[in-house]
Amino acid sequence: MNDERAKDLMLTLFRPVPAPLCLLSLLPPLSLSAPISPSEPISQAYSLALYMQKNTSTLLQTYLRYQGSPFSDPGFAAPELQLSSLPPAAVSFKTWHAMDDAERLRRAQGAFLALTQHLQLVGDDQSDLNPDSPVLQAQIGAARLRAQGLLGNMAAIMTALGLPIPPEEDTLGLVPFGASAFERKCRGYIVTREYGHWTDRAVRDLALLKAKYPA
Amino acid sequence: MSESRVAEFGFFTKDRTACFRLTAPHTAMGAYSWWKEPSWMVDSKRRRMTPNWPWLLSALTLLQVNAVQAHSLKRGSAQDLKCTTKNMQVWDCTWTAPVGVSPGTVKEVCIKDRLNSCHRLESTNIKIAALSPGDHEVAINYLNGFQSKFTLNENDVSLIPDTPESLDLSADFSTSTLHLRWNDRGSAFPYPCNATWEIKVLQNPSMELVKLVSFNTTLSGRDIVHHWNWTSDLPLQCATHSVGIRWYIDYNRFSGYKVWSDWSPLKNVSWTPNSETNVFPQDKVILAGSDITFCCVSQTKVLSGQIGKTFCPLIHLYGENVAIHIRNISVSENSGTNVVFTTEDNVYGTVVFAGYPPDIPQKLNCETHDFKEIICSWNPGRPTGLVGPRNTDYTLSESISGKSVPFKRFETLTNESYRLAFQMLPGQEIHNFTLTGRNPLGHAESAVFINITERVAPHVPVSLRVKDISSTVVTLSWHLPGNFAKINLLCQVEICKASSEREVRNATIKGAEESSYLVAVDKLNPYTLYTFRVRCSTETFWKWSKWSNEKRHLTTEAIPSRGPDTWREWSSDGKNLIIYWKPLPINEANGKILSYNVSCSSNEETQSLSEILDPQHRAEIQLEKSDYIISVVAKNSAGSSPPSKIASMEIPNDDIIVEQAVGMGKRIFLSWHPDPNMTCDYVIKWCNSSRSEPCLMDWIKVPSNSTKTVIESDQFQPGVRYNFYLYGCTNQGYQLLRSIIGYIEELAPIVAPNFTVEDTSADSILVKWEDIPVEELRGFLRGYLFYFQKGERDTPKTRTFETGHSDIKLKNITDISQKTLRIADLQGKTSYHLVLRAYTHGGLGPEKSMFVVTKENSVGLIIAILIPVAVAVIVGVVTSILCYRKREWIKETFYPDIPNPENCKALQFQKSICEGSSALKTLEMNPCTPNNVEVLESRSIVPKIEDTEIISPVAERPGESSEADPENHVVVSYCPPIIEEEIANPAADEVGGTSQVVYIDVQSMYQPQAKPEEEQGIDPGVVAAYKPQMRLPINSAVEDFAAAEDEADKTAGYRPQANVNTWNLVSPDSPRSTDSNSEIVSFGSPCSINSRQFLIPPKDEDSPKSNGGGWSFTNFFQNKPND
Repeated sequence: MNDERAKDLMLTLFRPVPAPLCLLSLLPPLSLSAPISPSEPISQAYSLALYMQKNTSTLLQTYLRYQGSPFSDPGFAAPELQLSSLPPAAVSFKTWHAMDDAERLRRAQGAFLALTQHLQLVGDDQSDLNPDSPVLQAQIGAARLRAQGLLGNMAAIMTALGLPIPPEEDTLGLVPFGASAFERKCRGYIVTREYGHWTDRAVRDLALLKAKYPA
Repeated sequence: MSESRVAEFGFFTKDRTACFRLTAPHTAMGAYSWWKEPSWMVDSKRRRMTPNWPWLLSALTLLQVNAVQAHSLKRGSAQDLKCTTKNMQVWDCTWTAPVGVSPGTVKEVCIKDRLNSCHRLESTNIKIAALSPGDHEVAINYLNGFQSKFTLNENDVSLIPDTPESLDLSADFSTSTLHLRWNDRGSAFPYPCNATWEIKVLQNPSMELVKLVSFNTTLSGRDIVHHWNWTSDLPLQCATHSVGIRWYIDYNRFSGYKVWSDWSPLKNVSWTPNSETNVFPQDKVILAGSDITFCCVSQTKVLSGQIGKTFCPLIHLYGENVAIHIRNISVSENSGTNVVFTTEDNVYGTVVFAGYPPDIPQKLNCETHDFKEIICSWNPGRPTGLVGPRNTDYTLSESISGKSVPFKRFETLTNESYRLAFQMLPGQEIHNFTLTGRNPLGHAESAVFINITERVAPHVPVSLRVKDISSTVVTLSWHLPGNFAKINLLCQVEICKASSEREVRNATIKGAEESSYLVAVDKLNPYTLYTFRVRCSTETFWKWSKWSNEKRHLTTEAIPSRGPDTWREWSSDGKNLIIYWKPLPINEANGKILSYNVSCSSNEETQSLSEILDPQHRAEIQLEKSDYIISVVAKNSAGSSPPSKIASMEIPNDDIIVEQAVGMGKRIFLSWHPDPNMTCDYVIKWCNSSRSEPCLMDWIKVPSNSTKTVIESDQFQPGVRYNFYLYGCTNQGYQLLRSIIGYIEELAPIVAPNFTVEDTSADSILVKWEDIPVEELRGFLRGYLFYFQKGERDTPKTRTFETGHSDIKLKNITDISQKTLRIADLQGKTSYHLVLRAYTHGGLGPEKSMFVVTKENSVGLIIAILIPVAVAVIVGVVTSILCYRKREWIKETFYPDIPNPENCKALQFQKSICEGSSALKTLEMNPCTPNNVEVLESRSIVPKIEDTEIISPVAERPGESSEADPENHVVVSYCPPIIEEEIANPAADEVGGTSQVVYIDVQSMYQPQAKPEEEQGIDPGVVAAYKPQMRLPINSAVEDFAAAEDEADKTAGYRPQANVNTWNLVSPDSPRSTDSNSEIVSFGSPCSINSRQFLIPPKDEDSPKSNGGGWSFTNFFQNKPND
């Protein structure tokens, strides 16, 4: 039932979303088609990542607002909290710079794959903890949808660049079930935080790619 | 006793809890130590007192035991025979061998009062079967023949049960609950007997006693496993807990001592930490307002602990484990209240959900709409503060059928709309519903017992249809979903006539299953638009359904219920009869009136006009002016109305006077005296009085028993005159009873009466006016107002009459038949302003004004002219006569012989003469001087006009004249002009000095004094040439003029009679001046002699101004010394 509701929410969210999200509907044909110039999917992915970047802090703030103090306290941050199932976005500049395009894309793709699954989990968690908060549910759903969209765009880029697309895998496994409410709140915090960080990193990655493959 | 024990434990429990709450573990330890001693004291005391013996008896028994021991000591050397028992069946006795006797030398123990009572043995302890109550002598024989004797009594035996063996100790860490199980081994004891258990919980590692509890059980001869649960305040994860148990047995048939067993070995419960969770309890749901302890298991130092935003003091457990205690926790928000412990490198936390157990469901109400399902609704009451999985689950169960239905929660559910549907079982009417709400904190329920047939709130009726039966009856049918087969329905039909009243009719209908229902509705009006709607309930009323949708229906037509209102008028020529009728009101027309039939019948003939279509309500028939009966019939699609009849002729009535009436608003009130002859009704017709005959605006019929009516019509307009005629109806026809003219509202006239002046005399005016036409009068004429006032046309003052102005004269003419007015006592030849206004009760009309001048009063004028003329003539004649008679005297007085000027004596003579007349005093200013005046040229007469001509250029030509002077040597003789005139007009000479006065008067009569322009037009020189002193002030303007020309000549009071300039100018240029030379010689008067002087023209070089001044001064200097 939650899934259905989430879908409904997505659909309702889908309508008013402006240009960047509309691109999502064009994705399947793009990803399926034979190698074409990578500049177009890069440009699309970059636009979407930029658009996502605008909403990440809103998502995080909304999420924290619903979790109660101390999460909702102004300036809350717990960088020490990490999830083993979610690769951290933080990377040293040297390491990042040393990566090639394929590596960057692969990592970002892996991260957003994990993020989509984690956002689904966070959405479920919050339907238990905050069942009367449709705004939060909607934002988490929207973020998940955008992450999926970016995944699709990245797959298109990898196809265009002739890179292998890593298979989808279950990043969550059995671990999260039975987590305590506090763990779920923290997990949601980490996921929404990392979603923002990974989006920032994706914008940076794609900007680099865009410079390399001008339209 | 047992009460006191419970109290002790109660105290302990409380105290322990308090300590735990408030103190750290080491403090709790102290409390435990403090508590321990009294507990034991209590126990030992109780042990002695437990038997049913009274306390005193126990004391005596003790004494006896001591005595026996003392006795045995005396009799044998064996000491301290002590017997205990574990199960009251076998006594285990030990004793100490007497001094000098080895314990191994015991031969036998004999109990005297028993058969085979000697037991062979070789030790100092023996197990013997329990002895019967009472003293028993026990002899212990030793090998060496030594014998010890004891008296053994059950009272001396201690009952010490075996240490209980706890079978199992387990812990539920999620609830922090310890479960203890043990076997009471009751089969080993006689039964029934009471067992008292004591369980202690110690918190490791300090072994602090955190719980000590005791309770009783009854041993029933069987082995029974007992359970004990205990929930720890501190989560069990945070400390290892140890549990021990002991007991004692209280068997009332055993009179010996009852002693606690030993504590069982401690069993421990400890938690194996996993890496994920470090804070406890996790996700606990607790009652808001309660207290709770959270603990954190940590390997590193915990820096802080907080709940929500509030930091709490840390309670250190052991190691780095800490706890915080929360008192009176408040209701959590949806996602719970976070409890967070912070270490140097990590954050640990948990969430607690504080809320309330479900409130008792309120306003539980169950009803059915259709006998298929029962809808129960309720209000959850106080919010629990718990959501999601912790929210309240409701279950509705029906106890008679045993069915229950869970409540499914929907996202959009609000607190007010908790509803649950219960499928009805066929045949079951009585229902006993219980609604139970549960959440993790508890449950609550409420119940309702109903007979469902009394709780029916039907669905809204649908498919409402209307079918005509007749013009006044219809049937309504509707469908009502549901199975109402066993009950009667009560339905309401609302009947609403268009725009007006609503009527509700009830109908009871036998219920049916999924059926349509039919109801006849009668007593409707034909051809009327109705709106129907229906709602239903049951006979055992519970609730109405909602109203069905409205259905509009027009009933069918019926024949008109009566004929139209009819009236008739003969045309002005009397040849045609005009028949009028009124359209029937809708409730009497009973349909759409299509046409009218009109027929006129007399004894001889019948004329009829048929099919006069509806909008026409008038017909004209050519008839002889004789008696006819006119009948009018209205027809609609259903048929014809009964005819309404009226006689064509009126019954004459000579006794009619015209009355007046004024209405109010748009209505006019008429009343009349009842007339028994009038049997049918009264008719009042009215029309606008200005219309020509036959005039009929409208009429009304009033029942014959009425004596008054109010006529109201939108056609009525204020200020319009209407004629009202009251007719009475008899069997023979209508008779005019009264004729009334009236206004709905009187207004002021819009025109003024047209008036003319018929006659005017010197002191009166006759005014005549005409009537104002009725249309312009706009009310009953009440009179005229006539104003008059002196005044001329276009004079602002007379334009309007200011009320209250004293000059205005007002006449109020209330006799409206008066058409003329004579205004008397006016002044002749005066303009009058006349104004005439008419007025009604509505106000004053406009004014009409006129200016009339009264005729001249000729006699008066004549008299006014003649009298002054006659007086003047008479005065003149008398004066002439007197002058004539006294001419010698006058001559002597005014014209004496002129003496020789060289004779100075003449001066005295002249002086006396001059003093006689004040008019001649001016002459004094020129006293005769002995100057010799040589007159070369003399000017005798200087006509005024010539002076005028000459004087004006005086200032322009001073040089010319001055040049001429020395050559001509003109000597001007000075002489007042009056004398010159005397010469010119000898006839007036007689008047002498007075003639000057008369002349001036006459002049002023014809020339009004206030004519400055005219006077200015006169050359100032004329006046300047001669000025009688009397007129000096009058001619001040002239003087100003003169002063402007000659500044030096400023003497106002007196002025020398000569004008130097005049002289200067006149003398050389005037041709006539030479002529007058001779005249100068010929005449003379004393005055002229006095004033005569030698005038030496001023020097040419002198300016005219200095010349004048020089003359003036010189003149003065010359004259003064002579004075």
